[in-house]
Amino acid sequence: MKLMHTKLPDYIRKMHEAVHKHFADRDIKIRGLENLTSAKMQSLRTGRIEHAVEEMVLAPGVEQVEMVVIPRVPETMHTVIIKGMGADGEVKKAILEVINILHSTEEVELGGCEDVEDRRPGIGRH
Amino acid sequence: MLRTDDLELADTKERRSMIMAVLKYKMIPEGKIGEYTIPLNIVFVDIKDIKASGLDADEAVTRIASTLPGPAGISVFDMEAVTTTSDGIMVQGAIIKMAASDHGKINQDFGRLDMEEMPYSEKLIEEEPHLKQWEASFQGRKLFRGPDPQKKIIPVHNVCISGRASNNNSATEMMNIVTMEEILLPIMGQLEVLQDGEVLVGLTGGIISVGIGMTVAEQYGRVFPTRQFKAGETAHGSGEYAQTLKREIPCIVSNKKSFAKAIIKALNAGMIPGKDIGCSPANMTVAKYLGKPIDVDNIQENAWEELSSVGFSKEWVASDVELLTEDQVLEKADELIPGVTNPIKKKVSEIVKVVEIAL
Repeated sequence: MKLMHTKLPDYIRKMHEAVHKHFADRDIKIRGLENLTSAKMQSLRTGRIEHAVEEMVLAPGVEQVEMVVIPRVPETMHTVIIKGMGADGEVKKAILEVINILHSTEEVELGGCEDVEDRRPGIGRH
Repeated sequence: MLRTDDLELADTKERRSMIMAVLKYKMIPEGKIGEYTIPLNIVFVDIKDIKASGLDADEAVTRIASTLPGPAGISVFDMEAVTTTSDGIMVQGAIIKMAASDHGKINQDFGRLDMEEMPYSEKLIEEEPHLKQWEASFQGRKLFRGPDPQKKIIPVHNVCISGRASNNNSATEMMNIVTMEEILLPIMGQLEVLQDGEVLVGLTGGIISVGIGMTVAEQYGRVFPTRQFKAGETAHGSGEYAQTLKREIPCIVSNKKSFAKAIIKALNAGMIPGKDIGCSPANMTVAKYLGKPIDVDNIQENAWEELSSVGFSKEWVASDVELLTEDQVLEKADELIPGVTNPIKKKVSEIVKVVEIAL
């Protein structure tokens, strides 16, 4: 059976391990996943990202590594669930709404860096 | 020696190498105007100046972005074309391209967007009655409002984003997504900038917050891609909350005399607020003082609820006022036309920096 998606805690563990494999005294700072409690991460890209973390930690002049996860499309559409619960905690009534959120794009994180290798496929491709 | 004729015959690249080309644009820099925050650099560029530089419009916005380290919203104007305000007033001067940039770069996927030209047809006029103004006052001019939704990747908003900079609603609302500060730039204020006129800088206030919702139905509109909300309806649909939605936002708008002049032109083209054009407080006020009709019955109850919350009720429409001439309305525009809290009037030359890039 192919493992098409990786468990979120496994994804995070793998990224730390990719650094520890080469430097026991270093670590990677991960931002952007704090709001997720359970999620399945695309396995195909997980492997590539592990590889990229290793490459970065071994790159000349690099002393610290950080991973930031931001929306690829900077407008995300979310369902908003307004729940009313009884004393027993059961959902008695709910209203569903939608909200579109605008996010900044990668330039915020990159600043003036010119050495950027864009390995992302086009929008809509894996 | 090369003569002018030779230069005209040479292809664009050769010409550029032989003459010192210049790209001119105007900019309201990020910072403050009085007490009001300008959350990013706001760039205005005329397609005529782009053509004179020898660049095409995409090259020009890329070049402009490269000179700006901070976040910027960039609008390209065709001052020979026409557009419409959100409440359906047709004006000369249209945004034909918008972009957002940060750290000197435009995001390759989401950083730029073209507005769609709407070709003239009798069917279009029939479907969008406010476009009768096109026939009456602006015949032969190209019309642009928003983009074609099929030609943009971003799913919902008509927005460009690069880094911190967001240029939204077809370049009439810009923001810095990191500081979360925003500025509202209604099209008529931007046209004043292009024409070196006078603008008001202030806070939107409850009346503009309500008025923005009183839209007209447009295909490829500035905000909505399809004909969602007709004249007489409200896009907000949020009752007394409508006055708070966009109440505290800095804005740069046209001076009220220019604003009133455009509304008068629309009314004289036969437009009726609530029927052909939006029932915004400004449109209804000018109509009321000129004794022109307002389609009270076609204005929906939820629109009345929002309008009444800021003082524009059915009773207000029915109340007696001393009728004025067009000249009197223009003369008294500052006191008559509602909207903008604590405005400061500025000559465009006082707030705009003119920049020339040597190419």
